[in-house]
Amino acid sequence: MSMDLSIVGPAFVTGLVVLATHVPLGQRVLERGIVFLDLAIAQLAATGAVAVHLLDIEAWWAVQLGALAAALLGAFALYGCERRWPRFQEALIGATFVVSASLVMLLLAGSPHGGEHLQDVLAGQILWVTWEQIAFAAAVSAGVLILWRALQGRLGGALFYALFAVAVTLSVQLVGVYLVFASLILPALVALRRGLAVGYLSGALGYGLGLAASAVLDVPAGPSVVCALALASAALGVRLRA
Amino acid sequence: MTRFLIAIALALTASFAHATLKVFACEPEWDALARELGGDQVEVYAATTAQQDPHRVQARPSLIAQLRQADLLVCTGADLEAGWLPVLLRQARNPAVQPGQPGHFLAADQVTLLEVPTSIDRAEGDVHPQGNPHIQVDPRRIAAVAAALGRRLAEIDSAGAAVYAARTDGFLKRWQDATTQWERRAASLRGKRFVVQHAQWVYLFDWLDVQTAGAIEPKPGLPPAAGHLAALRQQLAARRADGIVRSPLSDPKAAEWLATETGLPVIELPQTVGATADAGSLFALFDAILGRLSGGRR
Repeated sequence: MSMDLSIVGPAFVTGLVVLATHVPLGQRVLERGIVFLDLAIAQLAATGAVAVHLLDIEAWWAVQLGALAAALLGAFALYGCERRWPRFQEALIGATFVVSASLVMLLLAGSPHGGEHLQDVLAGQILWVTWEQIAFAAAVSAGVLILWRALQGRLGGALFYALFAVAVTLSVQLVGVYLVFASLILPALVALRRGLAVGYLSGALGYGLGLAASAVLDVPAGPSVVCALALASAALGVRLRA
Repeated sequence: MTRFLIAIALALTASFAHATLKVFACEPEWDALARELGGDQVEVYAATTAQQDPHRVQARPSLIAQLRQADLLVCTGADLEAGWLPVLLRQARNPAVQPGQPGHFLAADQVTLLEVPTSIDRAEGDVHPQGNPHIQVDPRRIAAVAAALGRRLAEIDSAGAAVYAARTDGFLKRWQDATTQWERRAASLRGKRFVVQHAQWVYLFDWLDVQTAGAIEPKPGLPPAAGHLAALRQQLAARRADGIVRSPLSDPKAAEWLATETGLPVIELPQTVGATADAGSLFALFDAILGRLSGGRR
């Protein structure tokens, strides 16, 4: 099986768009010691999307709005928790994840084939992404990065949580939870040790190698990129001291 | 020189006449059927194996590449592949296999579907508004799909029309004989009652005149409610069933639990070609299903 750029090309660009916001956000996540925040936020977004589905609303924008609203609500609640009980933040994030995941199952218990609605939001698949989705994601990501740069000094933690909710709600639908976690944490680890540029490089390398392996070996693209991101981060993150 | 050019032209025409039709089959049963009807005139790529749930498919580059080259797509339809086929069709951008084209063949469109919701009621199930898509476990419906697929192959590849017609006729004759045999063998099953894991055996039970004694997981993808399991156990205590039917794809835990609670045997039935070792072809699939169902083999 040879490489076909028209198949893996859009997936690679999607990866770069996701990395653009996730590497700097991932650095903050690591500094704050809240690495599972993205899982909690993604799960809340899924809960919001499912709730909108259950209200008999099918419009694409309404589902997105429901997902984003739930993610933002959860993000602000978690920000409040961090200010009040910083010691328990990691535990509260974990609890938010399992409660939110269970809430979705309870919500869907009345809906046959409910499991499939859940998949819609959490299991984005990078090879299915279209150029229209990439353009939309790029525009939102640019907005997130600009706000991040402009307001970081003034809003601090609250802004971080809000922008994080927007970025993750978007990316999880494009590439799925595993890739979001990997894109957030692995290149950010490299960035903390060797600077943002090397972090970005390791991310791009991971997506490139993972998609190439997926094309050549014909294996599912998502898991292939996750493994390649781990390899690339390990290779670039470990600096040999002379 | 001229002779050389003519030789090349002849060689090209010859290879063109023998060009194989590229078929993209969504599920193993349509892969098997396309091979039966097309023989070596078709080259079939199967998008899923019997070990995969056709509701959910991981995106691999070859799926897009194969669909891009395909002359004919053969899928179940009725929203079975709703989670991935529309996006795959969009990514492949192959005009020949888009919905509405002769190269877009849906098996569910060729047969009468069961469990079609009579009203658009969300509580009753909005996900399969066209009806239950698991049609491949009824040989009568396989025959209807085969006849339609044979015609479609001939329509798309008119050069091979005679071969498709002959192969389809031959297959349908052998299939009719086999169906008569199966029905004779299954006469003793009539009226028996089986608990199912999911509602995926509706067409098999309709064909065999077998009753459903309840479903363990009425909503696929979600664990069953405790109240539902208690009610099911109570029903089975009041009126015994003849076994619990599950496919190798489903999680065995729920069926094993109910078997321990009720003492009923768990019968593993292949849901498609290749799902179990003894279901290697379409014919073997129904041999295996009937053998396991009437033997009550665990």
